[in-house]
Amino acid sequence: MQLGFLVDLHLCMGCKGCEIACKVENEVPLSTWRLRVKYVDVGTFPETKRTFTPLRCNHCANAPCERICPVSALHYLDNGIVNIDSERCIGCAGCVMACPYGAIYIDPETQTADKCTYCAHRIASSMMPACVVACPVEANIFGDLDDPKSNISKYIQDSRDVQVRKPEKGTDPHHYYTGASQVNLNPLASQREEGYNLFNKLTHLPLGGHE
Amino acid sequence: MVENAIAATHAVVTLDVALPDVFWGWYVTMNMWAKSIGTGIIFMLFLLLRKNANEANGLRLSTAIVSFVFINIFLLFTLADLHQPFRMWHIFFYPHWTSAITVGAWMASIFLGLLVVLIYLAWKKEDVTYDKVLLWTAVLGIPVTLYTAGLMAESTARELWTMPTESVQMILAATLSGSATMILLGGSKLSDESKKFFGAILGLSALMAFIVYMSEYIFGAMKAEEAAAVLEYIKGDGEYATMFWIGQWVAYILPMILIGLSRVSNSNSLLSLASILAIAGLWVVKHVWLVIPQLLSLS
Repeated sequence: MQLGFLVDLHLCMGCKGCEIACKVENEVPLSTWRLRVKYVDVGTFPETKRTFTPLRCNHCANAPCERICPVSALHYLDNGIVNIDSERCIGCAGCVMACPYGAIYIDPETQTADKCTYCAHRIASSMMPACVVACPVEANIFGDLDDPKSNISKYIQDSRDVQVRKPEKGTDPHHYYTGASQVNLNPLASQREEGYNLFNKLTHLPLGGHE
Repeated sequence: MVENAIAATHAVVTLDVALPDVFWGWYVTMNMWAKSIGTGIIFMLFLLLRKNANEANGLRLSTAIVSFVFINIFLLFTLADLHQPFRMWHIFFYPHWTSAITVGAWMASIFLGLLVVLIYLAWKKEDVTYDKVLLWTAVLGIPVTLYTAGLMAESTARELWTMPTESVQMILAATLSGSATMILLGGSKLSDESKKFFGAILGLSALMAFIVYMSEYIFGAMKAEEAAAVLEYIKGDGEYATMFWIGQWVAYILPMILIGLSRVSNSNSLLSLASILAIAGLWVVKHVWLVIPQLLSLS
């Protein structure tokens, strides 16, 4: 079994329901996120549009975070999920340096690394991840990539524009997108201009970095 | 990218909560800097023994103590940088051998043990045994110096840190800071010939490290979009441009000039000044290179 995600960006409307469901399900502290939806505005007025991209751990088959973790706190489950054992984590932040998707954070309450686990605890009880359940338009497609009859496998077979983030990193992600353009997937394809953010002057809890 | 360069598409992020903060900051800089000195001075004592064993007689104990102190500084800052420092023992009881951190922790611990043995042997004046142990300490010092380069190479998200460039820079940092420390530590115990020898090592290390950095500075942006974006932080009026050039001047350019002048004028003071600058500048150089890739948003 190889579990994977596919997000159909044709359907996503940026409601952030998945974000909130994830936060509640996993008790993710303030200022940190396992899953978040990035907004990118494209075009010049009046020809503008807003794109939405849910971002979470890509559960790579060749996961740099698993490789760099000195104590195997990050490890593979039999179903392909890259899981994390926060009791074992020493907080070296090696995984934060290694993950090309910026999907790992240091939990300000436990001072250990944390990230999306595809809701491994729910899957163990035969439930879908919280974000899948919460999505009102079924943009999050979750299932077994090894099963050709699964919903996600059929989606991948039928779609002509299946992409992953940063394929050049060689991480072999198990998280796919359809309907994505460069502005969705490539952080360098869009600018981050001062004052353009919908929420400016964000306050973050101290995470313990030593600048 | 076309998406943000063309006015028609003008792509701007309007909502994202990318991870804030520099996670590996000056604690890690201290780690790399102190480790370079701790291993580098062992390399230099090893070379001195091969070149002129008589001069090494008065430096066996002091060199081992200096190395011991700096390796402990390196380990202290490594520990302090952990968000869960009291779980450090997990590295030894749940080791994951694909991680450069695990391999480095084990090697550094053995290296520290060998330094304790060297201090004991120097104290007891058992020079023959000391020199045999020093050989293995110097050999182990090479991977101890290099493991951080391995760690940076494993940091897939940071395009700027590449192999084998980082390995070259780590070894050059050790020979640069090691020779500088030996010049300062040796003082009057070193002959003029040995001082010139270590001065040459210092100058050549500075030259080669400078060449590597300039190669990255000029050509790095031509191969990878992400590296180009990171290098912008040290170019023009980039956030770290001033600090980058201060580091290059203090660590490399000024020491090279001073070493040249010291050879012409036979001045030990200029050589000592070059050594102090190289050691201080190395910290700045390492810090800039450590921090800038972390400034780039990954999402």
